[in-house]
Amino acid sequence: MTGAGGNTLTDFVAGGDLSNSIFREMMEALPAAIYMTDAQGRLTYFNPAAVNLSGRRPEIGTDKWCVTWKIFLPDGTPLPHDQCPMAVALKGGDVPTGIECIAERPDGTRFWFTPCPAIIRDAAGRIIGGVNLLMDITDRKNAEIEASEQFRAIVETTPECVKMVAPDGTLLFMNAPGLAMVGASSAEAVTGKSVYDLIAPEDRDRFREFNERICKGEKASLEFDILSLNGTRCHMDSHAAPLRHVDGSTVQLAITRNITERKHAERAALLLSAIVACSDDAIISKDLNGVITSWNQSAERMFGYTAAEAVGQPVATLLIPPDRQDEEPKILARLRSGERVDHFETVRRCKDGTLLHISLTVSPVKDAQGVIIGASKIARDITQTRRLHAALIESEARFRQLADTMPQMVWTARPDGYLDYYNDRWYEFTGLSRVAFGDERWETLVHPEDIRQAHESWYAAVDAGKPYNFEYRFLDRHENRWRWFVGRALPVRDTEGKIVKWFGTWTDIDEQKRIEDELRRANQDLEQFAFSASHDLQEPLRTVKIYSELLTKRHADKLDGEALKFIGYLRNGATRMETLVRDLLTYTQVTKVEKCAEVADANEALKTAVANLAGSISETGAQIEADPMPLLPVHSMHLQQLFQNLAGNAIKYRRPDRPPIVHIAAERQDGHWLFTVSDNGIGIDPEYKENIFGLFKRLHTSDEYSGTGIGLAICQRIVDRYHGRIWVESEVGRGSTFRFTLPV
Amino acid sequence: MLIAEDNESDVFLIQDAIETAKLDVALHIVKDGEQAIRFFDQADSDADMPCPALVILDINLPRKHGNAVLQHMRLSRKCGKALVLAVSSSASDRDREEMAKLGANGYFQKPSDYDDFMKLGDIIKGLLGRRNTQ
Repeated sequence: MTGAGGNTLTDFVAGGDLSNSIFREMMEALPAAIYMTDAQGRLTYFNPAAVNLSGRRPEIGTDKWCVTWKIFLPDGTPLPHDQCPMAVALKGGDVPTGIECIAERPDGTRFWFTPCPAIIRDAAGRIIGGVNLLMDITDRKNAEIEASEQFRAIVETTPECVKMVAPDGTLLFMNAPGLAMVGASSAEAVTGKSVYDLIAPEDRDRFREFNERICKGEKASLEFDILSLNGTRCHMDSHAAPLRHVDGSTVQLAITRNITERKHAERAALLLSAIVACSDDAIISKDLNGVITSWNQSAERMFGYTAAEAVGQPVATLLIPPDRQDEEPKILARLRSGERVDHFETVRRCKDGTLLHISLTVSPVKDAQGVIIGASKIARDITQTRRLHAALIESEARFRQLADTMPQMVWTARPDGYLDYYNDRWYEFTGLSRVAFGDERWETLVHPEDIRQAHESWYAAVDAGKPYNFEYRFLDRHENRWRWFVGRALPVRDTEGKIVKWFGTWTDIDEQKRIEDELRRANQDLEQFAFSASHDLQEPLRTVKIYSELLTKRHADKLDGEALKFIGYLRNGATRMETLVRDLLTYTQVTKVEKCAEVADANEALKTAVANLAGSISETGAQIEADPMPLLPVHSMHLQQLFQNLAGNAIKYRRPDRPPIVHIAAERQDGHWLFTVSDNGIGIDPEYKENIFGLFKRLHTSDEYSGTGIGLAICQRIVDRYHGRIWVESEVGRGSTFRFTLPV
Repeated sequence: MLIAEDNESDVFLIQDAIETAKLDVALHIVKDGEQAIRFFDQADSDADMPCPALVILDINLPRKHGNAVLQHMRLSRKCGKALVLAVSSSASDRDREEMAKLGANGYFQKPSDYDDFMKLGDIIKGLLGRRNTQ
């Protein structure tokens, strides 16, 4: 230090005596820490504020620029001495303005400061020293840190999603709860990407518009759905405000809450209240003193009191009849102990005094802490149910009474085929004792040969839900023999068509079956007999006929007139007998022809019949008129026999004064064909119109009209075979109309 | 010619028809199915016995039915190839079909009219003529 008083900063820096300098005074007075160094950084001056700030009095000329402070960068890394701002500046390097550093005092306390180093050069431009102003920014810095710490703490501790979104939708920031909400495993999974991708497609446009509004400076809130990265949908409620971003743009800062659960709860609550409102059951709540606290519409309907009339009233005075007053204290006592009352059947009184049979279910209602605060009660009107039940019991009793008086064995079965009821007749027949719930013992009484089919046919009907009809033998313990029964059953269905029960009978058909068998055998025998008889009868008849002919042919000259007449009788008799036998053969064979599988053309059959009648047609000048005939499932031969017999009769029984006209028609009717053969012949006395269809029934002598009396019997038999009908409408002298029906 | 027919009156008519047709043939007559079978067996064992050119075979023969006779005949060494005309009073198609299946060469339903019966002669003539031209 020179003693010469210098006036320039250069002098001053170069170590001039500053004792009287105005600078010195100024600097001593400044509250900001200032120090000066020479070109090597050795300290030449410091003011009291510097001592105050650094917590140490340095030594002039020894200590260097940094005053031995420990200096750190804002992130806490130590800054080597030769890189501290003053050192850098003295080396001619650039020191950015406004940098912030931390320094540590000898006592270990730290402070923030901003250095402002400046280089001092001599006239030649050489660096001769430097001056540094240290601005203490500790208070500001601490305030800043505190603010950002608070923000960070809020962001980190809030359970809501905190995010920042750029105007273009880029997600700038999202806190951990937010990341969890969107299903992101790390911030990198979503930040820097478009937030719109996370929004449910239907809400995307609304959200975009919302974001743009916020980024223009508005505050707003929005509810929307997101689709998280793991695919779940959540309903969000977002409150957003504009935020000035570090880069100067305005972004959206939003706090968003996942309200999915709340929404569900709201919906559930709505649903619940709707259920309560619409329920057919009266739903009432009451407190533990029995005072009504809520009253739904059905309660109004059921008991006649409006909600306004009921709420606030004690249940006991409003609804409970005098003779049942003891019920309520008992119910309340049970509720207080947390018990539930289930399907308690009782009687309650309505506003108009009528008594209702109801079924009550009362459950305790607890608050969030589990304390019983009241009860909810559901009351169902069972007056109707009780009436139905009584009616059902009565109808069942009637059914049993009816069933027991029936001559058949009557039973019912469950939908699964298990027989659950038999009438008295069954127990009489089997000698079994009545058991409470029915049984399957019926199968054990079936004939061993029938049992498998009896079982299978019954369960086949049960499975198919179709009427059951099957014949089998049961052991008759009274006569110790098997008897034939027909088992019949029909399913009983509910309104939806579901089988609820089977109703069945066993009818004794033993006698019927025996008679049927006998009849069948007798019929077979008869047919066999008729067939063989007519067959074998033809043989001798032929001989009689042919030899009586030969007799007249060869020996006429040896015979007198009477002998020839007798031979004529003989021949006629034989001829008639032959026709009779032939017709009888036809008659017996009607049922022998196998069942007809194909359809026959009635036109063809008629043509053949007319051709067979050609002789008598030309002889009598008969006129046969026929409408178009149908196709039908009847044996062609039978059709031909019908036409031939009826048309033949029409020609045969003609009136002598005019040629016969026969009209044949067919008409489709309900489920069958109606054939008509009408003529202009002699007609039939109505008295005989039933008779004529019998075998060998004739109204005329063979002198008047030839015939065997079998033709119409054949017709009757053919029509019978097809379950049709044949009849005649006629008046004497006015012709006859024969009609018959055949299947379509 | 062999006639296997139990009914004498029909044998007469068959003979009458043959005569009416002016056929000159030797007739041998058997009255039942067993006799007919015996006839064929003898013909097989007796070299001197001639074989009939035509057999008129009634279907409804006593003892052995016509079809049994026909079956047996067709197995005969000597007479197996003889012509057979089945006759019957039956109008049954089944009889006719069965005989045809067993190898009958013709079928004649015996009519109840004399003139019709005489047509048998022409049928026999036709059958023999057909054989001769073969």
